[in-house]
Amino acid sequence: MKFSLLKKSLGFTASLFISSAALLAQDSGPLIDLLVKKGVVSDQEAEVLRVELQKDFAVNSSAGKLNLSSSLSEFKLSGDIRMRHQIETQAPSTATGSSVVTNERVRERFRFRFNGDVLLQKGWGAGFALETGQAADSGNQTFGGAAGSGSGNDDYSIFLARAYVSYNPNLNWSFTAGKFKQPLYTTDLVWDADINPQGLTETYKYFIGSKDTFEIRALQNIMEDRNESTVGLLGRDAWLFAQQAVYTHYFGKDLLNSVILAPGFSKYNQANIGFSANENTFNGPTRGLSLMTFAGEVNMANVNGAGTAFKLYWDSAINNDADVRVNEVYGLSKTRWKSDRSAWLAGVGYSYGTGKVQGDYSAKLDYRSIGLGSLDVNTSDSDFAFGFLNQAGYKLALSYNVTDFTNFNVTYFHTSDIQKNLTYSLAARDHTQLLQLDLVVKF
Amino acid sequence: MKKISLLLAALALVSTASAQKLVIKGSDTLGAKLVPTLAEEYKAKNPGVSFEIAAEGSTTGIAAIIDGTAQIGMSSRRAKTTEVSAAQAKGVTMNPIIVAYDGIAIIVNANCPVKNLNKRQVEQIFAGDITDWSAVGGPAGKISIYTRNTSSGTYSDFKDLAMKKRDYASSSQKMAGNEQITSEVGKNPNGIGYVGLAYIHDAGIKVVSIEGLVPDKASVLSKKYPYARPTFYYTNGEPTGEAAKFIEFTLSDEGQKICEKIGFVSIR
Repeated sequence: MKFSLLKKSLGFTASLFISSAALLAQDSGPLIDLLVKKGVVSDQEAEVLRVELQKDFAVNSSAGKLNLSSSLSEFKLSGDIRMRHQIETQAPSTATGSSVVTNERVRERFRFRFNGDVLLQKGWGAGFALETGQAADSGNQTFGGAAGSGSGNDDYSIFLARAYVSYNPNLNWSFTAGKFKQPLYTTDLVWDADINPQGLTETYKYFIGSKDTFEIRALQNIMEDRNESTVGLLGRDAWLFAQQAVYTHYFGKDLLNSVILAPGFSKYNQANIGFSANENTFNGPTRGLSLMTFAGEVNMANVNGAGTAFKLYWDSAINNDADVRVNEVYGLSKTRWKSDRSAWLAGVGYSYGTGKVQGDYSAKLDYRSIGLGSLDVNTSDSDFAFGFLNQAGYKLALSYNVTDFTNFNVTYFHTSDIQKNLTYSLAARDHTQLLQLDLVVKF
Repeated sequence: MKKISLLLAALALVSTASAQKLVIKGSDTLGAKLVPTLAEEYKAKNPGVSFEIAAEGSTTGIAAIIDGTAQIGMSSRRAKTTEVSAAQAKGVTMNPIIVAYDGIAIIVNANCPVKNLNKRQVEQIFAGDITDWSAVGGPAGKISIYTRNTSSGTYSDFKDLAMKKRDYASSSQKMAGNEQITSEVGKNPNGIGYVGLAYIHDAGIKVVSIEGLVPDKASVLSKKYPYARPTFYYTNGEPTGEAAKFIEFTLSDEGQKICEKIGFVSIR
């Protein structure tokens, strides 16, 4: 065909253009456009010339050494580094009277996270995340506290925090397997935002009208693998099954305001958990955790001019098996201690901007109460009362965008015990305080 | 022996028939309307040729040429340097062929009173700097942005042509095809999106002029319309066999008339 001759002659022309520097290929677009405009070459000749220049650039520059799979539709690398100054108080419970010990501590901490997410063809995707810190509920490391040594200028380990494969056959269905971002709509009352569950998750999204959606989300989270050759509970894998309905409704002028309602239910199978590296963790039977949850929020946009928003948000959990959990699993006396089956959170927030542009800011304040028999400490937030049960108090979070990619955050927690003089290990705090000053740079 | 000969002859016929199948993948802009119409016409003249056309975005068309899973890759954008590099690493020579010209039209809801935007306003709207119609002469109301998804050549071209390579507003909603965009904008009084010329007559939408220019044959061919662009077939080296014949048909007078009829601008 005629393209062959044309291509050879243009290839020669191209080589004249770029003989001195391959980088010229990257800048030659305007030159080619000008040649077309002047009528020196046709549009078709110009396209062949562009490809010849690109090929030469590929051979003579680092771009040609990067050989990504052609099945990739998108490959996104991102991450952040957080510097934290932390001041904490953890006053232990005492069997009688009030705590006189406060256990104050100051730490300089950091966290590094690096994420890779790929979109492949035909609805497939995959991804990974690396971070400092092995505990599921924290990627933090304390300066001068490297695991295994704890002194000097020792280096820190990197752990795999996520590794997943996803499949979205259409707009309605989504399936993910591996270790992935927590898929449920919730707050850190029930799920610590740092925890990436592992197993399987499925979402079905139904579109209602122009914007509203109704979703069913399900999570099958394997908490611990056991060798089935061992007889009984110790040989059974521990699974957490969570199901949730999420309804999102938009209302008001231009449908800018929204309300989200998310009831759910989660339950463990009968198994045993041995050990995890979380801040406050329960090792033992998974019995007695059957949670009814209800989370949601109301967002009011433009409350104080364009770009501002006011939010009311809440979360709650009722453990239907709290008596079993407290009396039989924790072994606490039925006559002395209440099972306290409920946990709840109610908060307000105000924001200017989306938190992605220099000058944006936000403030959130919530009050929460975590009953003794209400939640699973293996998933609830490790910062509020350091993950201890039987605590009530508030969290104040302020954030300011120093630049588009840098945030300065202040977070303060203050909690105190609900049932006094409870020294059981999962609830052994009289009161706690935590102040975190963070500088976060995202890339 | 006679039976074996018949069987072999039958197998030969089958293999000949399967050799007439043309696999074309890529751009939704080209592959949703134009190429299926061209294929129908071509089939009418060449019985026995079958087509497999998958229009999932230009990125998939170029990837299919690199992978060797299609004979023709449709693309509404040029191959990127990384794609040319990837092809080269696999011994594939990307060969671009201009099929027709297109203009990326900015569309709004038919009831939207805004008739004209300048290039700066378009950039600011799609990047999220302008979020309310009142800032561009319309009634107050939050702008809803509809874009193509990341596999789309139009998604990528629009960033280059209209947005100085900036990212789209985080609030923008990504649609799988041109028809989904016209459908959403047609339903949403505050919607704005972009589509190829072949889709500007869909119901419920209207085209906004850009600094007084609407995308038509004259403004696209003269390149005065700021978002004019060529559309491409990509092949691995020189096209051969049925692919070469189909490309020749596309570029012929008859093929180009079909391009015009669908809404594209002929290369002639």
